[in-house]
Amino acid sequence: MADEKKRRRAAGRVYACGGVRRERVVVLPWRRTLSMCVANVRHRRGRALITFVCIAVVVAFFAATLAQQELVNELRRVGGVEVHAALERVHAGAPDGAAAARQAAQQRWLLGLSVLLCLTGITNTILMSVTERVREIGTLKCLGALDRFIVRLFLIENACVGVTASVAGAVCGLGVAVVQTGLMTAFSFLSGRMCMWAALYSGPRAVALGTVLTVVASIYPTLVAARMKPADAMRVDV
Amino acid sequence: MTTRREIVRTQNVRKTYVMGEEVVHALRGITLTIYAGEYISIMGPSGSGKSTFFNMVGGLDKPTSGEVYIDEVDIAQLDPYELAWLRCRKIGYIFQTFNLIPVMTALENVTLPMVFAGTDPDEAREKGARLLSLVGLGGRLHHKPAQMSGGQQQRVAIARALANDPAIILADEPTGNLDLKTGHEVIELLRRLKDERGVTIITATHDMKMLDVSDRVIWITDGQVSRIQSRAELDIKVGSIDGKQEA
Repeated sequence: MADEKKRRRAAGRVYACGGVRRERVVVLPWRRTLSMCVANVRHRRGRALITFVCIAVVVAFFAATLAQQELVNELRRVGGVEVHAALERVHAGAPDGAAAARQAAQQRWLLGLSVLLCLTGITNTILMSVTERVREIGTLKCLGALDRFIVRLFLIENACVGVTASVAGAVCGLGVAVVQTGLMTAFSFLSGRMCMWAALYSGPRAVALGTVLTVVASIYPTLVAARMKPADAMRVDV
Repeated sequence: MTTRREIVRTQNVRKTYVMGEEVVHALRGITLTIYAGEYISIMGPSGSGKSTFFNMVGGLDKPTSGEVYIDEVDIAQLDPYELAWLRCRKIGYIFQTFNLIPVMTALENVTLPMVFAGTDPDEAREKGARLLSLVGLGGRLHHKPAQMSGGQQQRVAIARALANDPAIILADEPTGNLDLKTGHEVIELLRRLKDERGVTIITATHDMKMLDVSDRVIWITDGQVSRIQSRAELDIKVGSIDGKQEA
């Protein structure tokens, strides 16, 4: 039986059905997938906005921390006595080892907690939109959608929101870092080059974090959606 | 009469659900044949197994034992991919709640099954427009479901069900959410499709208007077929049906 199925699959799913030989195709082209995802995000702007803000905030926090670290390091490296004095005044100079370690640990905690909160928040939001769309998913399946189409639709839809939110968050985070570091040193020592380095250092990491976060958060809701039965389309009580 | 082609055949179909420690027998052995081009109504009180049987006939559920053949294919033997293909190409679904995809226009809704079937986009658009004018919505191709009335939405759904020229149209209470007049229009449209295109129509319904156009009515009680009424019996019961059809 299993061999027979494999053989059929290898033959491009061509086999007799109702006495007629024909090729069995079920497809969802990428272009249509994308347009469906964009339409869905637009239709549910409110819900997407919650996810967007969640991710943007966490990513901004992460990007700001990274960028500021990088800026301060750079300032310390190239700056003269005045810079060190300025940094010393705001305790951002070269603190002693123990204090630095404590500060770093605190920041990691904060980041970890916010990531966790963000994950549960997004998972919940997406799960809500999945249960809201039980009938729609059932209908898609009745029309011939495979489980993996549903997975693809939901993952891409959320990844779209995740990536845009991450980019927005990274830009905001970088802005905050530049302003904060600038305020410490009265802006006089910050150069465009430094800011660019900080952006290159923190930007990609922050966007990667945001994207991974969204994808991880959407795995469970997506599986719930994919496992729904086509007969769910008949439900009247949703 | 020439030999009629069998489109759906069930052989001693049983379905049992296990709910906790209780075993529920939803279907207790149904053997039935539905022929191509028939208009079948399945009637029965809620909890009778009507929906379960209906889902089975529509390839949405597999029996616990027994066989369901749709167009000569035993659905129990199909893998998920083949089942999806069957739903896409062989069966058109119409729902009580219309179930159009809210973010898509009428035309996009109608072309969706063709997208899944791998039809060329231009061809799909053209055919979609043709189907929409067939159901009397030629002027509303680019309206979203929210901009249409219930009757119009259901007609879009009927056009969508026809997209891949299915052999069977499965309609779950298609008039349940419509008023009397639009309900009548939808039934008339289904009957016309049956006559003109020769599609088999299987409906689950409570609507007595539906009986007027049915070739056979299958009553299900307690997971079994309790009665099958044919056209001739229905004529006697309903009376001057031919006169009604001409009107």
